[in-house]
Amino acid sequence: MDTLYVLSQLVNGLKLGSVYAMVAIGYSIVYGILRLINFAHGDIMTVAVYTILSLVTIFGLPLWMSIGASVVMAVVVGLIAERTAYRPLRAAGEETTLVSSLAVSIFLQNLMMMIFSPQRKAFHLPENLTFLHNFNGIRLSTMNIITFIAVIVILVILTFVIKRTRVGMAMRACSDNMDASRLMGININHVVVIAFIIGSSLAALSGLMLAGEYKTIDPMMGFVPGLKAFCAAVLGGIGSLGGAVLGGFVLGVAEMLFAGLMPTEITPYRDAFVFVVLILVLMVRPNGILGSREGGRS
Amino acid sequence: MKKTLKKTLLVMLALMLAFAFTGCAKDKSEDEGASPAADTINVGALFNLTGGQASLDQPSYNGFKMAADEINAAGGINGKMIEVKVVDGKTDQASVASAAKKLIDVEKAVVVAGLSDSNYALAAGGVCQSNSIPFITSGATLPTLPEQVGDYAFLAPFGDNVQAYACADYAIDDLKMTKCYLLIDQSMEFTKTLAHFFKERYEEKGGTIVLTDNYMNKDPDFSAQIDRFLADKGGAEILFISGVPDDAGVVVKQFRDKGVTLPIISGDGFDTPLLMEVAGDAANNVYVGTHASLENTDPAVQKFVADYTAVYGHAPENAFAALGYDTMYLIANALKNATDPTDPAAIRDAIGATKNLKGVTGTVTYEEGSRVPTKSVTINKVEGGKFVFQKEVFL
Amino acid sequence: MRLRDNHLFRLIIFVILPLIGLIVTSMNSGSYYSGLVHLFGINIILVASLNLVNGYSGMFSMGHAAFMAIGAYASAMLTLTADQKVFLMPALPDWLMHLTLPFPVTLLVAGVLASVTALLIGFPVLRFKGHYLSVATIGLIVIVRAVLDNEDQITNGARGVTGLPDYASTGIIFSVAILCLFVLYRLIHSSYGRGLIAMRDDWTAAQTLGVNLTTKKLSAFLISAFMAGMAGGLWGHMQSVISGKFFYIDTSFKIVETSIIGGMFSLSGAIVGSALMTFIPELLAPLETGITLFGVQLPELYGASNMILAAALILIIIFRRQGIMGYSEIITDSLFSRETYLSLFRPDQYSSLAKAIVTLPVRSWQSLKARWVGQKHKSL
Repeated sequence: MDTLYVLSQLVNGLKLGSVYAMVAIGYSIVYGILRLINFAHGDIMTVAVYTILSLVTIFGLPLWMSIGASVVMAVVVGLIAERTAYRPLRAAGEETTLVSSLAVSIFLQNLMMMIFSPQRKAFHLPENLTFLHNFNGIRLSTMNIITFIAVIVILVILTFVIKRTRVGMAMRACSDNMDASRLMGININHVVVIAFIIGSSLAALSGLMLAGEYKTIDPMMGFVPGLKAFCAAVLGGIGSLGGAVLGGFVLGVAEMLFAGLMPTEITPYRDAFVFVVLILVLMVRPNGILGSREGGRS
Repeated sequence: MKKTLKKTLLVMLALMLAFAFTGCAKDKSEDEGASPAADTINVGALFNLTGGQASLDQPSYNGFKMAADEINAAGGINGKMIEVKVVDGKTDQASVASAAKKLIDVEKAVVVAGLSDSNYALAAGGVCQSNSIPFITSGATLPTLPEQVGDYAFLAPFGDNVQAYACADYAIDDLKMTKCYLLIDQSMEFTKTLAHFFKERYEEKGGTIVLTDNYMNKDPDFSAQIDRFLADKGGAEILFISGVPDDAGVVVKQFRDKGVTLPIISGDGFDTPLLMEVAGDAANNVYVGTHASLENTDPAVQKFVADYTAVYGHAPENAFAALGYDTMYLIANALKNATDPTDPAAIRDAIGATKNLKGVTGTVTYEEGSRVPTKSVTINKVEGGKFVFQKEVFL
Repeated sequence: MRLRDNHLFRLIIFVILPLIGLIVTSMNSGSYYSGLVHLFGINIILVASLNLVNGYSGMFSMGHAAFMAIGAYASAMLTLTADQKVFLMPALPDWLMHLTLPFPVTLLVAGVLASVTALLIGFPVLRFKGHYLSVATIGLIVIVRAVLDNEDQITNGARGVTGLPDYASTGIIFSVAILCLFVLYRLIHSSYGRGLIAMRDDWTAAQTLGVNLTTKKLSAFLISAFMAGMAGGLWGHMQSVISGKFFYIDTSFKIVETSIIGGMFSLSGAIVGSALMTFIPELLAPLETGITLFGVQLPELYGASNMILAAALILIIIFRRQGIMGYSEIITDSLFSRETYLSLFRPDQYSSLAKAIVTLPVRSWQSLKARWVGQKHKSL
């Protein structure tokens, strides 16, 4: 097993990891404030991707315009879900909101299936985005590179927003103690809406990246990456943005190295391996790799 | 006070619901004496119209329904109309089993058909068997299914062994390629069975499997497997990928993107327009062993494609549409020939006696005692974004 | 006297009527409606046992599908004939190959094996709090599924195991269900159960009062897994086909949903939730097939029932956060109280029942009026 082979598998891992990371940031930002595991996050991704596909194929809109529209669409759907299914339950337990997000997820999946049929559809990005660059035998598309950079840029921007701006301060306050923040005059609903806007737009972008990489979309496509990204967020320390990104990369790399380096008899245990890693990490660091000490309120 | 009242009401409602059903059950069983209206024949259609299997089962159901409408328009079965009773299995085993019971018990179906995945077909078949109602799976290709279920279960398509053998024969006899790389979707019954039979035949005929790798269904990233293959090709001349339609385009595209230009061969799972839509030119040099070629110039096939397009506004999604269509004709033929089209046992015997029934996906004959049809396998090759007919393999 | 406080009334509603229903079901076994009632019974076991962990102990497990899977496969291994096992599970050790046990015993073994799994996974993960535990239990499902799909020689891989004998009769399903409910009921109303609830409400306080958190958590988890394992065994023998994909995350989600709908702090909630989630989807199914008028099929809308159900789910939890039953135990209280059964021999119960029924319209009118007036004046 030569170095180049291991290196190529490592790159595969980073490629997958950057998609996970992108989804995980969206998860984390909502979770950080509401302690809500938004299982519908993956389905908002699906809505966004179908929006792009319909606009491009039916109305012939240019891609950049469709992407803009898909972000708007994702935000609208996210906010409707927040207003109807999550806000009325804010005082209820975490378990209750979790089930309500599952219901939203089922609703969206079936809606997508009704409108667009359950058939998988091809999803193509323009040639210049899918062009393959050959780095000494390791091939990466322009889109892979954009995704990787986008994750880092978004992480930096969001970290800046949260650490340095008034909105960010309000978000941190809500995350620490919602009741106290309300008493201090912070409009909780505004903060939550902002979190959902950020989370849903990120879902739209990560949907685009996922669909662009795998070139097909279907109404159920959001669920598995959503679940994996959620694991990534937990692995890194849910609620922490850096943690989400780190978790995404760790998960992606672990998955690819396992699939690439282990004997083929045990590679089907790839998903199981991911969860074993997750459990082991949580045993050593109960709040994830970068999780704060108090972590998830139980 | 308010709460307790509401609670009590809800409890009562729930219980009433629960036992209203058992009450119904009794009424129904008493009704059984009276025979159903004599001018229609109820045919049960059990498909997973929602959930993960919907991409195969919806086209299949469309074809099934279209065939029934055609038969009725042509005067039905000896003057009796076919009434298709459909229940959604929801890609959930408990729902599939309960749907089968509903079709038999409530809808009074004399024959049940449908489903494209063996696990679900086994569940539904078991229910039909214990109620002595014939069950024909329109799309599941597990060759041992009828044996496992019992004498009321039939396969409409060929078994996995047949298509796998045909692919292996074609690779060795026609393509003269004796070193093969095998990639298997480990999470599906169908893909595992297919790969098993392919390997068996391929090695029997003197071929060598140089490397076997695997992935799990719905894993859209194959780069780890591809890099492993690139690191040690072992002189492979051809790739056999045992996968389902959803993955067909993606996996081929990713192999080609990584510079693998070797021919790829697969079973009916790859018979999907997605292969060309997703992979584009990369799909060239892919061989598919399948039920029929929808590009086939045979007038029966072209008529089916044209009719389907006229009814549903788009071309058949995949070969499962044709399978559903043929299954309905298989049933209709049996109903026509049965000594009594209301007696499930007579229908079963009539299905078992089917000989040389020509359909879109080939000619169905059940050999004496076998409930898996002997059908030919069509080998298609992708050339210039189209399936091009190569050979019809008879085993 | 309110109607619901009358023991005789409870006897009729919660014991006699269901019993009649079950007898009718068992006489029609194999029919569609019996199938639903059987499913309802198995759901009761699953949801009630989940409530012990999620409702009463304050953990949040999503791993029930994994325990079901283990129970189902274990019971398949012990009930299939040697001929079937040679074909489906060739790698079984010799003694297991020829071992066939009576069904109730296999159910117990199924439960024990599920418990053993729970023990193995419980040690590392039960220390996790809140969502971390949820993720770890989802992980358990993924791990179990991977084993079922890949250990072809023992589980027949993704092909699944078929031909499980049809042992799951109405009698055995509901005997197990009632037994489980009874055990859970007694547990929850014992000092053990109060310890659990104390732990849920304030674990620091519970600890100071001498509640051993680790053993409490672990034991509740084991008991719950045991019952889920038995339910899995029953489920397998009801369906006769089992395979890894049927015991996956969506199955667990459904159980969790049912638990929340019914009320996870109540065993009666498990019964009500299971009833709703088993029967309502079937009622909605006709909506999807479209209506047939003289052979003309109106548009079919598959998925409509799922969407309505999802919307209804959200509405129910918005308006009744604690689930339909909240903290009430009216059904189990009636089922397991001696008073209920003795009421049959108490004349005063008959007269008060009669009186309650006769005065029902008047009293409901009064209570409605009282509430309306009360609301108007914002008093009470």
